[in-house]
Amino acid sequence: MMEFKTAEGVVEITVNRKNGLFEYSGIFADLSDGASIIIDGKKHNAHLAKVGDVWWVHVLGHTIQLELIEPGANSGDEEGSLVAPMPGKILQVFVAEGERVNAGQALMVMEAMKMEHRIVASHDGIVDAVHYNVGDQVIQGAELLTLSE
Amino acid sequence: MLERVLVANRGEIACRILRACKEAGIETIAIHAKNDSGSLFCELADLSIQLEGEGITETYLNQKQILDIAKQYNADSIHPGFGFLSERADFAQAVIDSGLVWIGPSPDAIKNMGDKMTARISMRNADVPVIPGEEVDGGLEEVLLAAGRVGYPLLLKATAGGGGKGMRAVSDPALLESEAKSAMREAANAFGDDRIYVERLLTGSRHVEIQILADMHGRTIHLGERECSIQRRHQKVFEESPSVALDSELREAMGAAAVAAAKAVDYVGAGTVEFLLTPKDEFFFLEMNTRIQVEHPVTEMVTGVDLVREQLRIAAGEPMSCGDLMIRGHAIEVRLYAEDPANNFLPAIGKLAMFKAPQGPGIRLDTGVREGDEVTPNYDPMLAKLIVWAPSRTEALERMRRALDDFIVLGCTTNIRFLRELCDHDDVVDGWTTTDLIERLWPDGWTPEFQENVKESALLLAAAGESSGYGRKLSSNSQSSSEEITPFETLNRRFP
Repeated sequence: MMEFKTAEGVVEITVNRKNGLFEYSGIFADLSDGASIIIDGKKHNAHLAKVGDVWWVHVLGHTIQLELIEPGANSGDEEGSLVAPMPGKILQVFVAEGERVNAGQALMVMEAMKMEHRIVASHDGIVDAVHYNVGDQVIQGAELLTLSE
Repeated sequence: MLERVLVANRGEIACRILRACKEAGIETIAIHAKNDSGSLFCELADLSIQLEGEGITETYLNQKQILDIAKQYNADSIHPGFGFLSERADFAQAVIDSGLVWIGPSPDAIKNMGDKMTARISMRNADVPVIPGEEVDGGLEEVLLAAGRVGYPLLLKATAGGGGKGMRAVSDPALLESEAKSAMREAANAFGDDRIYVERLLTGSRHVEIQILADMHGRTIHLGERECSIQRRHQKVFEESPSVALDSELREAMGAAAVAAAKAVDYVGAGTVEFLLTPKDEFFFLEMNTRIQVEHPVTEMVTGVDLVREQLRIAAGEPMSCGDLMIRGHAIEVRLYAEDPANNFLPAIGKLAMFKAPQGPGIRLDTGVREGDEVTPNYDPMLAKLIVWAPSRTEALERMRRALDDFIVLGCTTNIRFLRELCDHDDVVDGWTTTDLIERLWPDGWTPEFQENVKESALLLAAAGESSGYGRKLSSNSQSSSEEITPFETLNRRFP
């Protein structure tokens, strides 16, 4: 059994190995010569690379990131956090702690790469904490706000 | 004839120019900031000189340092590319004053077109139609007054603007003041000039631009249009030629207006006149870009003209080499950005663990990166331009879909999937492209549509890769990509 963190949260997978192929949910993967998957007998090429703990997978025209959760690691503790995607400066803060927000609602505006970017709520929830004020410089990956469900 | 060109730019456009020079038998000098050393464009130049200093102001915008390098290494000319110093009249003048050839239009032409308000006035005088609006010269208060007279919806634009910076659409008068302040702030940061002006926002319009070429032998021609309506926050993402909206009559009318605009400022070299085309086939001058443009390849694909090579000829005082205009087939360009379209298109960074471009007939890739390169927040997030040509628009779209499906970038998030879905959209397929298309189609932001089995396949592959230690050898290979390649590896690549 393995766990990965994806854009939709943590997913679990148990892979079966048969005749040199890997199987899950009726799909087969062949990693013996390059990478490919077989669905209903039809082969599709795939590409994958591991960068740090993240598996980058290109398959069926999509590029998907899956972060391996090492066994025993605390999973899901970053759920609901909103992090700075780039180093930059906070220009505006629209919400206060304790405020109820809706998915898609603008929470902050930051400036990065000379453009203004809006930080929006990823889901409905309550603002548990606002970690930065207008004018603050933030590093990439800094948690800007915390949203609870 | 030019003998040694200094390319005052970086990334893909530097590569484009350096290759054109090589083909023309001209020696090249590249300049690079420290954080660009080892980049593809440095490799392509005969000589690459490192700029001192940090940040773009001290490096790629440092006129004195660039001129000193040009003189020290005996360059006879400077090509500015686009962005950076390309539309700086003072730099063009300084280049000329140093006795070097400026590969671009005269400083006067740049100045005239660079100030958007002056350009509006000179175009009106040359009988080129301009968008109803008002020039403003007195700061925020006057902007607020002018807005009332122009009417809503309106567009605030930076006088010194470009690239969508300092530009805001306002449809609600209550938001005018905050949007104006935000636009002025962005303009001040980007251009060191916070002046903005007010134009009527023509919704449902197309952005159609005309490529022109002018030499010093009295010839000024247009090379047809580029349809660049699909934009996001005023940044173009999808460009094509020809436009489905133009018949030959309208093409000739817009071409003639573009030639008139160029002649009005005694233009020399390659340039682009941008127009807004309304649903009623009225067209209005937007601005003229006095440089080679990001999307120039689509024109090259359908006309067969090498625009950069023509720039070199024209700057050397030779007549342009192209004959009468002939548009053949259809070309589309998409811009690949290091950004996360599913997360409000925020810029992304990372190491390009895999960068495999599509191949095949009618496919062109203009890029400044290669596998193993690091995408950093230091510069523009555009990774590459993917251009396809095919005999018809339908086939060009089919080719683009296939090319995007074959384009593999791992290690840094890109907008490839977004572009791919764009190619399937009815409005794009039918050619109903307007400047508000992306906001109209995805008002709440874009999220990918996953077909059956995609997520399961990805999960399976990651788990299979993890349990078999897949690619460990591969990643150690890409890390050593900067080291010297042994002849055996080279042989292996050439003759697999």
